[in-house]
Amino acid sequence: MSENVIVELASSKNPLVLDCGKTIGPIKTAYTTYGKLNDSKSNAILICHALTGDQYVASEHPITKKNGWWSLLIGPGKSIDTDKYFIICPNVIGGCMGSTGPNEENPQTGKEYGLDFPVVTIADMVKAQKLLIDKLGIKKLFSVIGGSMGGMLVLQWLSKYPACVFSAIPIATTSSHSAQNIALNELARQAIMADPEWKSGNYNEQNTKPIKGLSVARMAAHISYLSEQSLHEKFGRNLQNKNKIEFSFDADFQVESYLRHQGFKFVDRFDANSYLYITRAMDYFDLKIENNGSLIEAFKDTEAHTLCVSFTSDWLYPTSENKVITKTFNALGLNVSFVEIDTDNGHDSFLLNEPEFFDTIQGFLDATYKKL
Amino acid sequence: MSLFNTDKDFNVISNLIPSGSNIIDIGCGDGSLLDYLDKNKNINGRGLEIDQDKIRECLAKGISVMQGDADIDLVDYPDKSFDYSILTYTLQATKKPKEVLEELVRISDKAIVSFPNFGYWKIRLNLLLNGTMPVSNNLSYSWYETPNLHFCTITDFIELCGATNIKIEKKCNLKKYSIQEYTKKSKFDNFFLESGMFLISKK
Repeated sequence: MSENVIVELASSKNPLVLDCGKTIGPIKTAYTTYGKLNDSKSNAILICHALTGDQYVASEHPITKKNGWWSLLIGPGKSIDTDKYFIICPNVIGGCMGSTGPNEENPQTGKEYGLDFPVVTIADMVKAQKLLIDKLGIKKLFSVIGGSMGGMLVLQWLSKYPACVFSAIPIATTSSHSAQNIALNELARQAIMADPEWKSGNYNEQNTKPIKGLSVARMAAHISYLSEQSLHEKFGRNLQNKNKIEFSFDADFQVESYLRHQGFKFVDRFDANSYLYITRAMDYFDLKIENNGSLIEAFKDTEAHTLCVSFTSDWLYPTSENKVITKTFNALGLNVSFVEIDTDNGHDSFLLNEPEFFDTIQGFLDATYKKL
Repeated sequence: MSLFNTDKDFNVISNLIPSGSNIIDIGCGDGSLLDYLDKNKNINGRGLEIDQDKIRECLAKGISVMQGDADIDLVDYPDKSFDYSILTYTLQATKKPKEVLEELVRISDKAIVSFPNFGYWKIRLNLLLNGTMPVSNNLSYSWYETPNLHFCTITDFIELCGATNIKIEKKCNLKKYSIQEYTKKSKFDNFFLESGMFLISKK
């Protein structure tokens, strides 16, 4: 297991050209690795994190002190076996865990970027990841894996760098953000920007923090990660440490208390401006539009072996959205597999202990590795 | 289903398929047939399967498999996606067998279809003498729990093909493991074969 590493990529002379037309360089990328890269550099797996994920995929998070967000899946002898594969997990640009983003210093001004940070896209994040892979001397990734926004990054890799991807697992994701997805993100952004402590994005300079706005954003998002069934089973109408309702606006119900807790613990580890930038990148994601209205066009050059996974109770990125992707892969005659995992855990399923999901991934990866 | 899982049956299918063909096995189960064809005919195979446990077995064998339903998901494949589609012992469990057959010959050049023959003499005799629905090797469910919805006889199948845009090219005898060019309906087959298996294409 490696420590967190921060590398400088691109440069002021040779900057990263962003989709918005602006350039940035040099940029920083913070990443972790697990396992060993083999001599032929053919066992590398890139893990792409979701909206509020980061590079601490299988090691302790420095702020929360919790296990990595996919530590159930990735490790020695686990479904994604670090004794066999070399795992790379970078923090996306626009993020807040050490990669270039709005809360990092702008080298040109010496001050924090704040809202001067250019609006980045999923494709920009992938361009930065490609620079990292180049720097590590890897020509072809054995696999690129990610769920939710991570799945969008996976799809972007297949589309943009088809020759560099041998296999891919996009999970619980979409090839274009739906109106409902955008609406939920807008709700979150408005919650942040409505907090007077946000200070037009300059909260760090003014020594404040939009804690309330960011936690409301997280609360709203958290609801979208769960299913009605799981909320009902976890909380029902149970009251929080009381026997009867109190005719007040305190957290009478357990579900209220739970959401408030989720919101408040989130602000310790996440930056409000980052939340704005990354949700924007997701909203702009539309591989069809990006490719002259044709999803077939988006993936025409890939020959990757793919496994698409969705979850029955996920209403944020439902099976129907994932099937749009598999349908396209089928039309292209790709080696595509698709599994819909039966679970009540909603969109969050991909981060939880779902043994069938883990077995599916392991079976696919190990069998595909033999085809290298 | 049980009757079919022998190397000899696989061999008949293998003999119908040229090496290197693009194949989809609909209701591919644990992928045994695709695995067999891969090893013996170096095919490029895909599976469609509804059961998740079986899908995981396919994946672990390195077989590309889509979770799906023959009644619903074949529409997602473009015309002539494959050289051959295979539907073994699944037709009788589909909701719309006619549409499924039409989809088969749309998404592939040729299709191999097998099914339990309800015209088989033992089944006729069973119904005649016992007056109960038949339970045998390849009809192993009681009537109240069977996933099978549309049983047919070999004659029924041939008549359906005649009434649609489907041409029967070859017939297989799964007792003798032989393949013959199809010429005309045979009462003999309908009476003495426990299963029907045909190679079909679009007229």
